[in-house]
Amino acid sequence: MQRLSILIIEQSFIIREGIKTLLSQMNQPFSMEEVDEFVIDLPKLLRKTKPNLVLINPKYIGTDIVLPRTNNSKIIFAAILQGEIEPNIKSKFECCLQIDADKQTLSKQFEEMIEKGAGKKKIQQNSTLSEREISILKLVALGLTNNDIGEKLYISTHTVMTHRKNITRKLGIKTVSGLTVFAILNNIIKAEEYR
Amino acid sequence: MLINKDMKMADVIHLDHHLLYVINRFNIQLGFEDKSVADVCAEHQVNTSFFLEIVNTYHDPSYFPLKNLKRFSPSLLIDYLQKTHHYYLGIKIPEIEQYINQLTLNNKIEPAHSKLLVDFFQSYKTELTAHISREEQRVYPYVKKLEEFLSLVDDGEVSLHEINEYSIQKYEEEHDDVEAKLYDLKNIIIKYLPSPNDSSLFNKILHDLFELERDLNNHGRFENLILVPIVEKMEKDLVKKLK
Ligand SMILES: [Fe+2]
Ligand SMILES: [Fe+2]
Repeated sequence: MQRLSILIIEQSFIIREGIKTLLSQMNQPFSMEEVDEFVIDLPKLLRKTKPNLVLINPKYIGTDIVLPRTNNSKIIFAAILQGEIEPNIKSKFECCLQIDADKQTLSKQFEEMIEKGAGKKKIQQNSTLSEREISILKLVALGLTNNDIGEKLYISTHTVMTHRKNITRKLGIKTVSGLTVFAILNNIIKAEEYR
Repeated sequence: MLINKDMKMADVIHLDHHLLYVINRFNIQLGFEDKSVADVCAEHQVNTSFFLEIVNTYHDPSYFPLKNLKRFSPSLLIDYLQKTHHYYLGIKIPEIEQYINQLTLNNKIEPAHSKLLVDFFQSYKTELTAHISREEQRVYPYVKKLEEFLSLVDDGEVSLHEINEYSIQKYEEEHDDVEAKLYDLKNIIIKYLPSPNDSSLFNKILHDLFELERDLNNHGRFENLILVPIVEKMEKDLVKKLK
């Protein structure tokens, strides 16, 4: 998971701590720069802290603020909101964190922010092996080295290694003997063939 | 929450019962009454601050104070690592082995499948045993020799040939990861074996595998991040001493 670099502008200690707790419970790695007073020069603060997510209690930046946007570095601005807030403030932000919401809602709001920050939707990892991967798995399970496999399939050792990494990631199996067991269980090789 | 010397030992176990196995390595057994950690350690002649660092790093993997840990003497550390080895080979591995062998007696499980698991675990056991004996026969005696030479008043008694053929850098290079196969075994059982009629024996095996993996992880960190730098420093000190 991508490490979030967060800047938070919020006076309440409890809220800041609560956000940290929530993020750790979501297993989201992050670092957090905390500001607990009114911010006059937001662009300068951003240059200094280089966050990719900024959580702001709108009270601490003033109502007439224009959020500094740059094209090259994508920063997500999220408002920390409590109760009813004027829509014109809300509209300045990409996301909202409704702090009086329940845990599930808050987690969802964070997930949205993280997704927006990463610039793409989370793709569901495909865990089924391709045909090519199965043929490589078979040779690995039979005890061939990366070199042997490359020669046999007319591909470079480097390509074999890339396939192997993908196989390991998809299956959650790292060692040759583990892959062999998998291959036997799934009839990719027969137990007698092995050794 | 970190464990401190004034906590009651009984409360430490309530806080994290995984520590039971770690505590036993210090030859501390149950029956704590209301004694504090410091009391129990004193009673068993255990270095309390070393004890605390060990249980805390085990309890909270994000707690790993390199500076504190490097202060301890290498023999204290090696003694603990060795006790851990004995626990693996003498207690934990035989326990898991026994469960896995029991799978073969269960007629609901395909014999070919239980055989796969038995063979896989045997090869893991061989690998772990070889790993540990390399450490005990090669590395630890080397560190003890270094320690002995450093404590000598008369440099004339240092026999360099005894230590010249090894260096901790070699250990660092050849020290491999003994957790990969465990990880695989867990996934084979969790994901890939056909669902059993009754999971209870598999649950026991999995529980033990998770426990062992966590333990090995902590153990490996002590070897790579504490033992290696301590010994590197000893090697430098010895060179300085002999100049
Ligand atoms: Fe070890
Ligand atoms: Fe080791």
